[in-house]
Amino acid sequence: MANSPLVARPTDALQPPKSLPPSSGGTPSGGLPRSARGQQIAALARPTMDLMEQMNEDEKNKYIKGKKLGEGTYANVYLGHSRLDSSTQVAIKKIKVQKEYQDGIAPDAIREMKYLQKLRGHANIIILHSVFSSKDQNLNLVLEYLPLGDLEMLIRDVDHVRYGAADIKAWMGMLTRAIWWCHDNYVLHRDIKPNNLLIAADGEVKLADFGLARSFADPGVRMTANVITRWYRPPELLFGARHYSGAVDIWSVGLVFAELIIRAPYLPGNSEVEQIALICREIGTPTEENWPGVTQLKEYTVPSDVVPVAGKDKYMGRFGAVGSDGVDLLTKTLVLDPRRRITAREMLEHRWWKADPKPTPKHDLPKKTAGAEEKLAADLKRRNGMVEDDDVRGSKVARKLDFGTAR
Amino acid sequence: MASEDARYRETSQFQAWSFSPAQLAAMREKTNAIARQRIAERMLASASNPPTSNNTSHANTPDPSGHGTPNPTENSTPTLPDFLKPEEEALLVSFYVSELLRAADHLGVPDEVRATATVFFRRFFLTNSIMTYPPQEMILVALFVGSKAEGRFPRIIEFQQKFNTKQDILAGEFLLCQGNRFNFEVRHPFRALMGATMELRSYGDIDEQRIIAAEKRAHEILLFSPLMTDAYFHYTPSQIMFAALSLADRGLAERLIQETFHFVPPTTNNDNTPAVTPLPGLENQGIGRKEGGSKGITTNDERAAIVGPGIRDKVMGTIEACRNMLSTELPERKSHWTSESIFKSQIRPVRKKLTKCRDPDRWNLSELQRQRREAGVRRADSEERPAASNGSKDAAIFGGDLSADAPEKKRRKVDGNGLEDPFGGPL
Repeated sequence: MANSPLVARPTDALQPPKSLPPSSGGTPSGGLPRSARGQQIAALARPTMDLMEQMNEDEKNKYIKGKKLGEGTYANVYLGHSRLDSSTQVAIKKIKVQKEYQDGIAPDAIREMKYLQKLRGHANIIILHSVFSSKDQNLNLVLEYLPLGDLEMLIRDVDHVRYGAADIKAWMGMLTRAIWWCHDNYVLHRDIKPNNLLIAADGEVKLADFGLARSFADPGVRMTANVITRWYRPPELLFGARHYSGAVDIWSVGLVFAELIIRAPYLPGNSEVEQIALICREIGTPTEENWPGVTQLKEYTVPSDVVPVAGKDKYMGRFGAVGSDGVDLLTKTLVLDPRRRITAREMLEHRWWKADPKPTPKHDLPKKTAGAEEKLAADLKRRNGMVEDDDVRGSKVARKLDFGTAR
Repeated sequence: MASEDARYRETSQFQAWSFSPAQLAAMREKTNAIARQRIAERMLASASNPPTSNNTSHANTPDPSGHGTPNPTENSTPTLPDFLKPEEEALLVSFYVSELLRAADHLGVPDEVRATATVFFRRFFLTNSIMTYPPQEMILVALFVGSKAEGRFPRIIEFQQKFNTKQDILAGEFLLCQGNRFNFEVRHPFRALMGATMELRSYGDIDEQRIIAAEKRAHEILLFSPLMTDAYFHYTPSQIMFAALSLADRGLAERLIQETFHFVPPTTNNDNTPAVTPLPGLENQGIGRKEGGSKGITTNDERAAIVGPGIRDKVMGTIEACRNMLSTELPERKSHWTSESIFKSQIRPVRKKLTKCRDPDRWNLSELQRQRREAGVRRADSEERPAASNGSKDAAIFGGDLSADAPEKKRRKVDGNGLEDPFGGPL
C-alpha cells in the first residue's frame, strides 16, 4: 500500500529521519516543485502555490476520486483509487463543514486522524492512507477500502449467512488483537460495536471509527462517562464513572462476542435505565460484595430485587455453541467490577484460542457481498463516535421510579 | 512487545518532524527563498493588474528558467521591498513563541497543550514563511488546535473573550493543520520526568528534598527552554527530559543514566553475535508475533549494546548536546523576551521590515479562507482535476469585504505600527 507523506511511514523504520518533504515529491527547487511523474500535474496547478499548498496538492493528486458510495449530513464517502496503481482502491471520506459545530474542525475528525495515525501498522485497524484538504476547505480522509461490509451485516442476515464456532473464533481473535493494540498504545476506543468492525476483501476484520477514542488519562484527570453506544456500554459508565480504563472496551468486546453467538444484541436496552436493568437481570446486580466501591459511583442505582451474579452454567445454556472454554472467556469479559474484568492481553492468552475447533482461516470466512458496499458507505458516512443517546441522563430518583416499569 | 524506542521510531514526530541541524537550516533557507519569490510574484501581479481587469495570464510570473527574485527593473513596476533574511525570520519565530507561551499562561492551559501548541507553531513556520502568514494570529490558532489535539475542545468563544478575535482563529485552523500535515500527536517529556523522579526515589538513598527541588526546576525548564529552541526537532522527549534534569541537578541525571546503562560485559566473550549493533527492542517488534518475549536479550554483546558503557557514553553525549541547547534559553530568559529595550532594539526593526514584505494574498486569514471556500464551491464538481483556479485573487485585489472583519483589520494595523504588546496590554 502506498504510504502517504502526510501520515508518513517509511517502510524501514530504521532509516534516519528524513528531511521534509520526503524525497518522493514536493521538493522545491527555486521554482516549480516536483519533476518526473508530477510534471503534468504541476503544470496544471496554480503557479503561485506555496510549498505547503503544493504538498497538499500532491497528496490529493495521488488519488482519483470515483463514484459516490454514500452521502450523509456528516460526510460523503467516495470510492477511489491510487493514480499510480488503479488496483489499489481506497474509500475517501469527505467530512463536511459542520453547520452546528461552530468551533472549527470537529472533535471526532481530530480524534480519528490522531488515533488512526498513532495506531497505524496493525492488521486489524483500518488504515488511514492520507489526509488532504479539498479546495473548499473540507477534510478528506483517505481510508482503506473494505468492500465486504461489517460484522453487523453478517450477524443479522440469519437467512443467508451461516457461520459456526470456528468462524466466531476467527472474528473474535481479530477483534481482540485490535483492541489489544489500542490498549497497548494507551488508547481507549470507546465505541466498539459490530458495525464498527469492517471486513476487508480477504476477510480480515478491521476496527474503524475512532471518533470517540482518547488516550489513557493521567491519574486524576476526569473523562466523560457518556461514551460507547448504549447496548455495549459497561456498568461503570452507566453509573457515571469518570475514571476508567480499557476495561470499558473489554465489556463491549464481550457483548460483541455474545452477539456473534446468539445473532442478536444480547442486552438491547431502550434507555439507560433499561440498560442497567438488563445488566442486572442477565449478568447480576452490582453490589458492594461483587464490586467494592460501586455504590459510591455518582449515578449508582439498581432495581431493588438483587439478582446474584450469573454462574457459568447459566451462560452455557445460551452461549454453549462456543464450548466451555469460549463461555469461560465470555464470562470473564462480562465481569461487573472493571478491576477484575479480563484485560485484552489476558484474553489473548486464554486457552480458548488453542482449543478445538481452530479458528477459520480468514479467506474461508463467511462473506456477504450483496449490499456490502452500501454498508461500508453507511458506516463511514456516519458521524464518528455518534452515541445516539436521546434519553437524558436521568437523576437517580427518576431512574428508581423507572425501574418499576421498565424490565 | 516493541520497545519504547522502536515505537517512537514509528511516530510522525520521529519520521516526519525530526531533523539534523543542517537539514533544519536548509529547510528554513528554502522556505525563505520560496516566500521571497512568491511574494514578489504576487506583489508584481497585483500591482500590474488593475482591479477591474480579469487578467489571469500571470504576465509577471517569472520565466521558469530564470530563478530567484524577478528583476524589478525589468518592467516599470514598483520596486520590491527588502525581504526578511532567514535569520530574521528565526528571530521573529522565537519572539512569537515567547508570546505564545505568555498567551498560554494567560489562558491557563495544561502543560501538554502549551507544549503541543508551540510545536505546532514551530512546525508550521518551518514550511511557511513568517512573511506569508501572520504569526500573531497563528499563535492563537496554534493554541486552539493544540487544545484540540490534546483532547480538550475549547469553544471559540473562550478565545474570543480572552483575545478579542475569532474569525482569524477559525480561518487559520485548517492552514495550521495542513502545515502540520495533520499530524496531531506530539510526545512530550513531562511524563518522562514523573517517571524519572519515581525511579530516583526508588533508589532509596537520595534526599527527598533534593529530588523535589530537581523535579521542580526541571519542570520549569521543560515549560520554557525546549519550546524556545529547536529541541523538539532534534531530540526525543526522554533526551529532552534528561537534559532538563541535568540542568536542574546534574548529579541526579547522571546517577539515573549510570543505573540504567549498568551492564559491564565480562572479559571473556564466547558469544557469536554479529558485529552489527542491534537496536533495542527491534527483535521483538511486530504484531501478532509468537509469545516468548522474555528471550529477547540473550548474549552479552547484545546486552552491552543495549545497557552497556558504549551506549551509555553515546546517550550522555546526546543529552549533553541537548543540555547545551536548552541552556541558551533558560526560564530566566523570559525577561529578555519581554524586555522593552530588547523589543525596541531587536524586534521592532524586524517587525517594521516585515510589515513591508508581507504576502499580499495570504496575510489576511479570514479573507483567504473566504476566497478559498468560494473557489472551492465553484469547482466542487471537478475536484480531482487540478485545474487552474482563476479569479481567486479578485477579492484580494478588491480588498475583500471590509465590513466583516473591520475591527480585526484595525487591530492589525495598529499592531503593524509597532504597538508593543500584541495582546493589547499587559496580561
